[in-house]
Order: sequence, then C-alpha cells, then structure tokens
Amino acid sequence: MNSLARSRRLQPYLFLTPYLMGALLLVVLPAGVSFVIAFTRYSGMGRPVFVGWQNFQWVKSDLLFWVALINSLLYILQAVPLRILGALGLALLYSRPGRATGLYRAAIYLPTVIPDTAYALVWTWILNPFYGPLNPALRTLGLPAPSWLSDSAWALPAIVLASLFQIGEGFVILLAGLRHIPRETYDAARVDGANRWQTFTAITLPLLGPWLVLLSVRDVVLSFQSTFTPAYIMTRGGPYYATHFTPLHIYETAFDGMHFGEAAAVMLMVFIVTIILVVILYNLVEGWGFDED
Amino acid sequence: MKISRLPKTLVSLALTGLFILPLFWMISASLRQPGLPPPRGIEWIPSPLVLSNYARIFDILPFGRYLLNSAITTAIGVALTLATASLAGFGMSLLGKRARLRLLVLSAALQMIPVTALWLTRFLLLAWIGQTNSRLALVAPAIMGSSPLFILLFYWTFRRVDPAVVESAKLDGASLLQIWWKIALPLARPALMAVGMLSFLFYWNDFISPLLYLRSQTLYTLPVGLLQLQEMDKTNWPLLMAASVVMTLPAVGVFAALQRALLWWDGEEYPEGASHQAFGKNAKKWFLFQIGRTPFRKVRRTSEGR
Repeated sequence: MNSLARSRRLQPYLFLTPYLMGALLLVVLPAGVSFVIAFTRYSGMGRPVFVGWQNFQWVKSDLLFWVALINSLLYILQAVPLRILGALGLALLYSRPGRATGLYRAAIYLPTVIPDTAYALVWTWILNPFYGPLNPALRTLGLPAPSWLSDSAWALPAIVLASLFQIGEGFVILLAGLRHIPRETYDAARVDGANRWQTFTAITLPLLGPWLVLLSVRDVVLSFQSTFTPAYIMTRGGPYYATHFTPLHIYETAFDGMHFGEAAAVMLMVFIVTIILVVILYNLVEGWGFDED
Repeated sequence: MKISRLPKTLVSLALTGLFILPLFWMISASLRQPGLPPPRGIEWIPSPLVLSNYARIFDILPFGRYLLNSAITTAIGVALTLATASLAGFGMSLLGKRARLRLLVLSAALQMIPVTALWLTRFLLLAWIGQTNSRLALVAPAIMGSSPLFILLFYWTFRRVDPAVVESAKLDGASLLQIWWKIALPLARPALMAVGMLSFLFYWNDFISPLLYLRSQTLYTLPVGLLQLQEMDKTNWPLLMAASVVMTLPAVGVFAALQRALLWWDGEEYPEGASHQAFGKNAKKWFLFQIGRTPFRKVRRTSEGR
C-alpha cells in the first residue's frame, strides 16, 4: 500500500517527463552549449578552440552588431507600444458579446494566422511603390507616399507597420484579462457615479496592469525572434543595413559567416538580457498578487 | 448606456475591413496577369482575372511535394503536441501547490525565451547527433508540447475538473492514465481545439526551422518553397502571391473551424450553442456515466433539469 501510494505521488511527474525532458534538451542544454561555444573559435568542423573573451571583444568592436542592436531597439520602441495599445483598444471594444462580436474578433485575429513568410511577401507587395495599393491610397488622401522598403528612412517603420496587424495573441490575452475583472466592480463604480473614462483609469487599467506588463515584456523579448522573418524576406537587412536586426545579425554571423563562436557570444547576450527581463517581470508581477490565472 | 449602436457598428465594420485587407490583397494580386504594367490608382480587382498563376507555381517548383511535406510535419507535430501537452497539463493539475507554482514559473520563463537565443546551439546539437536535414529536427519542439502556453492551457482546464471525481475514480481502481484518457480529455474539448489550432499554425507556419536545418529539396516545406520562389524572381508578384495563398488558405481554414475555442476561451460568454460550457460542473455526471453507474437517460435528464 505504501509503495502504491508512493507511485501515485510520483505519477504526475511521470506525465510531466516529456515536457521537462524536452525543456532540458531543447532549452537548457542549448543554452549551456552556447555558454561554452561563446568562448571558443568554432566553424562547425573540427574541435572548438578555447579563446577566452576574444569573441566578446570582437563583437564589441563589430560595427554591424551595434547597428543591429540599435535597429532592434528602434523597432521595439515603435512597435511594442503601438501593438499593445492596439490590442488593448480592440479588446476593450470587443470584450462584451454583442451582435457579430464573434465575426469582429475573428477578423482581428485573421492576419495573425497568415504564415510569416506569406505575410512578409504580401507586405512587400502592398508597400511596393509602383504596383502596391498602399501608395495610391496615401496619395488620394493627400499624404506623402515614400518608397518604403527601398528607402532607408522608411524601411524600418514599414516593418513596424506590417507588425501592427499581427496582434491577435495580445488581443486574446487581454480579452481574457478583461474577463477576470468582476462585473460587480463596474456596477459599484456606476453607482458611485463614475463616468466611462474614470471607470477605465480607476478600475480597468490598474487591474489590467499586470497583463499589460506581461504582454509588453513578452513582445520585447519576442521581437528578437519576430523581426527575423520580415527582415529576411522583405529587405534582407537593407537598404544600407536600415533593417539589420539582432536575429538577422546572429543568423548571418553563424550560418553565412560560419563564425559560430562570435554568434554564440551575441546569442548569449540576447539570452542574458532575456533572463534579466523575465526576472524583473516576475518580481514586478509577484507584487501584484498575479497568481495562477 | 443605450446610445445608438450605429457608431460602434461603423467602427467595427471599418476595422474588420482593415484587418481583412492583407489577405484580400494577397488573393487579389494572385489573380493578376503576370507582366502587366503597374495599375493606375488602387486596383481592387485585377482585370483580366487569371487563375493560371496557381498552375504555374506547381510547374516551376515541386509545390505538391512541399505541400505534402508541410502536411506530414504538421500532422506529426500537432498529434505529438496534443499528447505531450495534455499529459503534462494533467500531471501539473495533480501536483501539490508548491510544486505547481514552481512549474508555473518555469513555464512562464520558458515561454519568454526567443528561439533566436538558442537556434545556433540547437542546430549544433542536432548536427552532432546527425539529425539536421530530417523531419525530426522540424518536429522536435513537440516533445516539450511545442510551447509552455499549451501546457498551461490544458492545466487551466484540468484544474476545473472536480477533484472528488478524480478521487472516486482512484478508489474504483482507475489508473491516472485511464483518468486522463477517459475523464480529463473528454472534458477538455475547448483546450484540445485551441491547442490543436495554435500548434497547427506553429508547424505549418514555421520558417526558421526548415531554413536552418533542411538541405534536401525533397524535405522542404512550404515556407522554404516560398523563399525559393522569391529567389527565382522577386518581382513576379502574381506567382508569389499565388504561392502565398496556397500556403495561407489551409491555415485560415483551420482557424475558421477552431477559432471559437480560442476567441471565446472562457466558456461562459460563449454566444451560441453552449456545447462546451460548464465542463467542470458536469464532470461528475460524465464520470458516473463513463463507469456505467448511472444510466445515460438519467444523466441527461438531470443536466437538462438544471
């Protein structure tokens, strides 16, 4: 009976084994290996040669690395606030079921479903200054019609613009967040005579706070991933490195240049920045009593 | 509160139109005749309309093969994901509070790590065991349920299953595996649908893995095919858009079929057909029915009588 009870207690962990093993093999182990590779010279053939901090010094003096970092920051500064605001506005608009709300929600999510490669291609068409439909539309509105992806001042904003339509994930998460605010809170506020704006700033926003922080940090971190495909397909980092983002930099260093050591050094830095952000986030959110839901 | 609905409806229609536009332009451009000069102004519907672009892409590249490869990879990925994620979610719901919390934190942290922070060394690890250029490399994330979010979605669902049901099933000698299969999973239809859809998109849309790992054209999936097509002629828009449509439509189809589970995740406000509402509440009845204690008719009557 005792051993039965014990096996019962251990069984949940048995169910969790694939997940935990996978996390070990696909996340922890690669992270550990990049720690090692980052201090070696390695091109995929032969044995890695230990070189100490040399890769990090090389990265520090590599102008393209700094260009990539600044571009990534510029992207984050523009895209993340706009994406979160967009998702929040849309979630507020469609949080309550009404006529055709299902249709509207589905429409908002639709661009998120389009595969990244196809999405990047359709935007190169939309943004094309000669063929695409965007510039004629801008001209009829009397707005300037830049040549977008071939203009180094407009290429990055163009990629930001494209990213603003793929906000389905944040939209759904904020819908769930709004559902967690009890109706009674709103009723109480209405009894107290609060108007819509007051209700929003006094109830909705503070209660949604942890969700918004979570989403923003997630968006920031994932921009180290989500900028790869658009940059690779739409511009290849150009023109004049205007859309040369960090993931593209890692990719080119590693798989075009075969400088695995240097690439691992950059990756390690991205990884450490990620961990720091996650720890900060965790501490922030813990203080809000943000628990299992 | 009862202000006219009209402004909101108008805004909604405008937004719907705006968010449908990318897909609309993709389809519209795919029907344009190649080699035509640029349109004057906005061309909503090209003239003449041609379908030949769709045939063309299958001529110049083995798109049928790519389509098949994508389908195989996605099928394996989704099936494995549903199994591992639901098992892990179920295991997690059985843990004590402290262990559960720790796992939750771990999952949230894992969820945050971008692939690009790991891709090179994942590539090296796979190369060392000789598994780059294989389908295994593409579906590897399925071992860990593809994404920690999927485990959490199942966990949140299973947490609502009445613990008394699990306890009484245990007393009746059911193993946890049986409980997972016979009680937990049937109650988790919304989670299965949501994770099914999201993991479909995860594998169907995956561009980075095949780009990194695959070298044989016979294994290529659609995203790499799209890239090939772009490299052949990056200005042949009609062809590129036709290939994009071929790749996008299955994703949109799966989304259309399963979207309600995701967009109305919390069953309560589900607008019509309360098919999967209140699954937690009905768990006990379900269980009694499953083990044959209660005749089905009685179960139905009691649930209708509420």
